[in-house]
Amino acid sequence: MSAVMSRTARLRHPVAGTLAVAGYVVMIVPILFVVATAFTAGSTLRFPPDGLSLRWFGEAVAYTPFMEAVVSSLQLAVLATGLALLLGVPVTLAIHRGKIPGKGLLEGLFLSPLVVPELVVGLALYQQLMIGLRLDNFTTLLLGHTALLLPYAVRVTGASLALADPALEEAARGLGASPLRAFVTVTLPMLRPGLISAGLLGFVTSFNNVPLSLLLQTRDFRTLPVTMLDYVQQSYDPMVAAASTLVLAATVVVAIVAERTVGFAKIFGGINR
Amino acid sequence: MTTPAAELVGVSQRFGSFTAVDSIDLQIPRGRLTTLLGPSGCGKTTTLRMLAGYSAPTSGRILIDGDDATRLPPEKRNLGMVFQSYALFPHMTVADNVAYGPKMRKVPAAERRRRAGEALELVGLAHLADRKPKQLSGGQQQRVALARAIAIRPRLLLLDEPLSNLDARLRVQMRAEIRRIQSETGLTVVLVTHDQDEALEMSDEMVLMRSGKIVQSGAPRDVFPAPADRFVAEFLGYENFLTLADGRQAAVRPEHLRVLPADTSAATSADGGIVLDAVVLDVAYRGVDLLVTLEATDPAGNAVRLLADHRADTATGPTPSAGDRVRLLAPEARLAHLSADSTAAPTAPTTAPTASTAPTEGIS
Amino acid sequence: MRARSSLLLLLPGLAFLCVGFLLPAVAMLFAPPGVSFAQVLERMGAMLTDPYDLGIIWRTVRIGLIVTALCVVLGFPIASLLARSQSRWSGVLLALAIFPLLLSNVVRTFGWLVVLGSNGVIGQLLTGLGIVDEAPQLLYTELAIVLGLVQLFLPLAVITCYSAVAQVDPGLDEAARGLGASRTRAFWSVLVPLSLPGIVVAATLVFAGSVTAYTTPYLLGGSSQRMLSTQLFSYASVTVDWAAASATAIVMTVLVFLVSGISTLVGRKGATA
Repeated sequence: MSAVMSRTARLRHPVAGTLAVAGYVVMIVPILFVVATAFTAGSTLRFPPDGLSLRWFGEAVAYTPFMEAVVSSLQLAVLATGLALLLGVPVTLAIHRGKIPGKGLLEGLFLSPLVVPELVVGLALYQQLMIGLRLDNFTTLLLGHTALLLPYAVRVTGASLALADPALEEAARGLGASPLRAFVTVTLPMLRPGLISAGLLGFVTSFNNVPLSLLLQTRDFRTLPVTMLDYVQQSYDPMVAAASTLVLAATVVVAIVAERTVGFAKIFGGINR
Repeated sequence: MTTPAAELVGVSQRFGSFTAVDSIDLQIPRGRLTTLLGPSGCGKTTTLRMLAGYSAPTSGRILIDGDDATRLPPEKRNLGMVFQSYALFPHMTVADNVAYGPKMRKVPAAERRRRAGEALELVGLAHLADRKPKQLSGGQQQRVALARAIAIRPRLLLLDEPLSNLDARLRVQMRAEIRRIQSETGLTVVLVTHDQDEALEMSDEMVLMRSGKIVQSGAPRDVFPAPADRFVAEFLGYENFLTLADGRQAAVRPEHLRVLPADTSAATSADGGIVLDAVVLDVAYRGVDLLVTLEATDPAGNAVRLLADHRADTATGPTPSAGDRVRLLAPEARLAHLSADSTAAPTAPTTAPTASTAPTEGIS
Repeated sequence: MRARSSLLLLLPGLAFLCVGFLLPAVAMLFAPPGVSFAQVLERMGAMLTDPYDLGIIWRTVRIGLIVTALCVVLGFPIASLLARSQSRWSGVLLALAIFPLLLSNVVRTFGWLVVLGSNGVIGQLLTGLGIVDEAPQLLYTELAIVLGLVQLFLPLAVITCYSAVAQVDPGLDEAARGLGASRTRAFWSVLVPLSLPGIVVAATLVFAGSVTAYTTPYLLGGSSQRMLSTQLFSYASVTVDWAAASATAIVMTVLVFLVSGISTLVGRKGATA
């Protein structure tokens, strides 16, 4: 890929082209080495790998802490995403269509979890909810992840709603639809791309999260990224490379789903506005 | 004989399998206003962009002042371009926009300001020098774009559909304005347009294009009464097409077709014009005249539908109404004889007869 | 929509936001378990005079600034080449730049262990070619953290700059060229100033992300190259020093707010100038 970039760009813009190639190398090449080392037959993380085998994939899949963590992370991500959409879409509607004062302030409030460092939020939840109120760690994680995903739900679906002409709903009412019917048959379909974007983004954000989840781990319920992080810190073998490659493959699937449904680049259009 | 200000020699532009400009030869006469006229997708904007250096021709040569400029980048050509969107720099004041070109030429600051002031004076906007472009009306932005192009003392001034974003009144006003600027500065101007009225009113020389080729060129007075083929005729507003007894094609404009009572003697055609029997299908009131739609049989025996402008104040005879049998007269002097190899499709004159899929022509 | 129904739509989301984010965050600052706010302030005072703690703050800021600069310098050329290119490859390259945003930070950072580790790609290459006798220590250095963070946040910089560049009319570049500006001159006098608001947003996001990131300094910095985030985790989880954890959290949050505030001011000034 960088070869294409360099050929087309470097000839016409030598400096910009070189910088761009360097950028792509930093972004992509380390990921490629992860994949390459996952297929090693040897027992150390080295490059070039000592022979080819799938042995580390087998070990990664058979390693119970990883598999348990995959299930936990999936549960958490699905629930938090669903909850965030369920709570966030009504908020979006109230902010964009309702007659209430202080809309800007309200929207800012719902976006605020993006502003405070996640590690700080994790510390707060750990101190106040897990230690202070003795909530179990799954409930705390779910609360925290849902609050973290609310900004995505509110902002991304809000972008879709802003594009939908309010006159459409009025037209549906004029044609005899009840308010609820008008919402379900006219407005909701227009929100679809926003809902899919927010859902995918929320799921990925929750599934991959480290800083917020870091302090909220217990032996019974651990998330995958934190489990992998701890494993890497303790032992330095290619099993994590294999696990990482599997995560990478799953992420590619998510990316393809994203591309097929709403378009890959559009998903991220909503975050930074 | 002086060298032309610019010259295109066998210039083509292909995008993949699509040929936007097909081996054209064109000379831009010095100190005159030349228009490139044609429907969207005809290659006129592509031609202008090649002249300006924004896209390189696939083949052929471009000469400016007699020197080969085919591979010269736009910043080395010294041509003043006015874009359809004006392309004013939104982060700079009007004065800074106009002074941008001189600045690139390392003109000292004081001299830059003087030149920018001069150019703004010429377009009548000196009092708005400190505004930002978005604080100006469309017409004012257009004048700034003109001033900016003139301030570099260009070898040619290139205008890409300069009036298409203005409302109708302003457009007519700006035609005269551009002519005035052209004659005051003596600049060589190339203007791209799809509006035949604009081309007729403004050009010293007009060049009609179709499907990437030049179909006819010359002074408006020469081109208008004698369109070369059906395409040009349709584009210039000829609505009625007849096949004469000898098989030749002729066109006549609605305002030149006279509607006379059915019993008018054929002797009226003593001047060699054509007389046809016709039935009135429809009459539409248009204020200054009536638009009469008729069905007639042309000299070759084909049924044709014709349009005539019937002016109540100058025409003789009774006012026609639907169902009337009438006699039509097309005076010989008003018949435009078309070349036989006309390939124009029999479509309405306002629609482009060719596929308008040229990527660069999408906006024109 | 009437005010009462708007309120009903808002309430569930608001309640969740309060429990899962707002209340714990505020409570943590003022009432860590068994510690008074005065003690937190006292600890913070000590932190701002202690050379070791100050060193960590300064390292965090320094790394944040370097990473921000690198991300802008590498990201803006990528964004402008992609936004201006008519090549059919530009879509693929854009997707490639965005894809890492979906991928787990642990996986992405893990790649650097393979590249920079003692048996890593660079070490093997240098010793293999006989340039050095012993592989240099690359891991657990500031350089490693910088590389890891650039990889992490470059996609964010690219996509933010991309939307800024895409909003600039390409006709303006052409107009500048026609008026005598070279490609480079047109880039600096037209494209850069008009994309500046987007560049400022990109820089802010990257800086805020870099000074709060946990995975990268944890894996690539080790215990020798502590940053505020790894220090916070160790106070909260290893030494269980609530006053110090809260104080660190406040310093980190203030740092992020300060930079966001400055960038908002810069953006506002740019908008009115």
